Amino acid sequence: MIATAVSHYPKLGDGPGEQALRLAIGRVDRGEAGPEEIERAAEAMTAAAIKEQEAAGLDLVTDGQIRWQDPITYAATRLQGLEIGGLLRWFESNTYFRQPRPSPGIELAWTGPILREDLEFARRHATRPVKAVLTGPYTIGTLSDPSHLGHRRFVLELARALNQELRSLAEARPEWIQVDEPAIVNNPSVRYERDFSLFRDAMAVLTEGVDAPLSLYTYHGDVADVPKLLELPFRLFGFDFVQGPANWDLLREWPQEKGLGLGIVDARNVRLEEIGSLVEQVGRAVALTGEGLIHVSPSCGLEFLPRETARRKLELVARATHAQGVTV
Amino acid sequence: MSRESLLTTSVGSLPKPDYLVRARAARARGGITQHDLDELARQATREWIALQEQIGIDVLVDGEQYRGDMVAYFAENLDGMAISGLVRSYGNRYYKKPIAVGPIRRPQPITVAWWEFAQSLTERPVKGMLTGPYTICDWSFDDHFGSRREMVMALAEVVRQEAADLEAAGARYIQIDEPAVSTRLDELELAVEAMGIVTSGLRAHTTTHMCYGRFEEVYPRLLDIPVDEIDLEMTNSGLDLLERFREHPFTKDIGFGVIDVHSHRIPPVEEVKGHIYRALEYLAPEQVYIDPDCGLKTRTVEEARRMLETVQQARDEVRAELASGKVPSPV
Repeated sequence: MIATAVSHYPKLGDGPGEQALRLAIGRVDRGEAGPEEIERAAEAMTAAAIKEQEAAGLDLVTDGQIRWQDPITYAATRLQGLEIGGLLRWFESNTYFRQPRPSPGIELAWTGPILREDLEFARRHATRPVKAVLTGPYTIGTLSDPSHLGHRRFVLELARALNQELRSLAEARPEWIQVDEPAIVNNPSVRYERDFSLFRDAMAVLTEGVDAPLSLYTYHGDVADVPKLLELPFRLFGFDFVQGPANWDLLREWPQEKGLGLGIVDARNVRLEEIGSLVEQVGRAVALTGEGLIHVSPSCGLEFLPRETARRKLELVARATHAQGVTV
Repeated sequence: MSRESLLTTSVGSLPKPDYLVRARAARARGGITQHDLDELARQATREWIALQEQIGIDVLVDGEQYRGDMVAYFAENLDGMAISGLVRSYGNRYYKKPIAVGPIRRPQPITVAWWEFAQSLTERPVKGMLTGPYTICDWSFDDHFGSRREMVMALAEVVRQEAADLEAAGARYIQIDEPAVSTRLDELELAVEAMGIVTSGLRAHTTTHMCYGRFEEVYPRLLDIPVDEIDLEMTNSGLDLLERFREHPFTKDIGFGVIDVHSHRIPPVEEVKGHIYRALEYLAPEQVYIDPDCGLKTRTVEEARRMLETVQQARDEVRAELASGKVPSPV
């Protein structure tokens, strides 16, 4: 059993040195420093995010997505053929993302590695395995303005472009490559059009020929009504059991060969869970899925929380995982 | 319904003048006293009240010159609420999010003295401005209740007390803002129930302001919110909603936003008049309050002044045209 994070980690804290990135961005915005100062601060804060995940007891870490403005634009600005527009609310949260749309007359294309350097940097600073995490084509496409391309064609073109990114990442032999697709969740506050056959087609295009362990994560709701979800070409499926308690239904007929991402620590609220309740939930998941591969985690990325709370949530994840005495 | 047609107002916040922004930063560093900061907030309030009177606005606001964030301000003044460490909202912007940490109580009135001060400066009505219980809950963490419903209901009780005190002090208009309702329309019933607690027994004209919503999806259920007036961001996102009014008439008063406040652009008076005439295709003039789409605190002082002047001039011209019979009578 593995303790892990889902994606992002706070970029700033109240402690000494923890404001380095914010201060650097402020200085660059005011013309008092060059962009290399942001780069140095991002490196320092990424190293700190990894160190804190390890200190909390995680077995598998992320780079904390310290360089990411939001879950959409980091990849979108590094693909050819996308323009970035105005701010929109990220699901029902009090955070925002900038909405991409295809540029007229420019082909949407992958022109070079997006996450490879970040992955290598994180590995140099980590003592534990690192997973690469990217937002998937269905979520980017659904939260974008598809403009003249239309939703289906836009999502599939994104899937083709990001397939090259996954192939490039796979060459680096990461422990895991995680694809985040929160836009498929069954959350009543989400009014985005959902299309399950498009989602399946996009996942097939995205993963074709990618030689690496792949995981699919969703959060902010449940996916219990997504037909044949567990037949998609991923080795592990991660769910949010806090905002999506109906996800427990997915465990009733769990395929032995698939791993489970068990997001049981609330990454959207500061209240600290009782360790006993978490241990009980991990035990229930083991009983239902038959002691296969389980990655215990928060319910989603941790940037919704103040840094000190994020640390303590990860400690809870690690304690609940390792209390089981089960190793896989 | 209001007795006069097409009264002008604004949604609530107005930009803080530079001297007040600097003073707030100095206060955060401990450089000046709270007393000195409050005196500068009173000065800015005087200036905004005078400016609104000069422009001719009918229902005034104090501009919230003494508040920072619309949720944190109330949280800071309630027992049982604390403030968290920094959380990022977007880009390099961070804020301290409130946390419910215990039973919520209001040890003393929060906004009443500021309202009394603003009202003492003018004969025109000044709105009492509150943040609604649903929004305070949605924009806070919960380390005490464990259920959104319980937290919203506890907050509804303290907001009710504040509204009652504003009314007792003489407020004829009380606005309870609920911008968070639009983010989880599936919880509309909870917001409706909480608002029922806040407005029960009030005789003042009650309003709620909402923005950024896909309100056409919950119209006409939106009309269940127990207030006299619903103020909507019509120009930025809501003109589509108008079509729904033909099928299901809007049965309350409406605060009809006629200027997009998320842009630096000051629209021509004719464009704003066009929005008012669109409104009058579906709504009676006595039913309609005219205002900018949302609070103006993110605009510059100059932009805010020009936006309010544009609203007022458009209203005055439409009223004159209606009175002279130059245009066909509205519904």
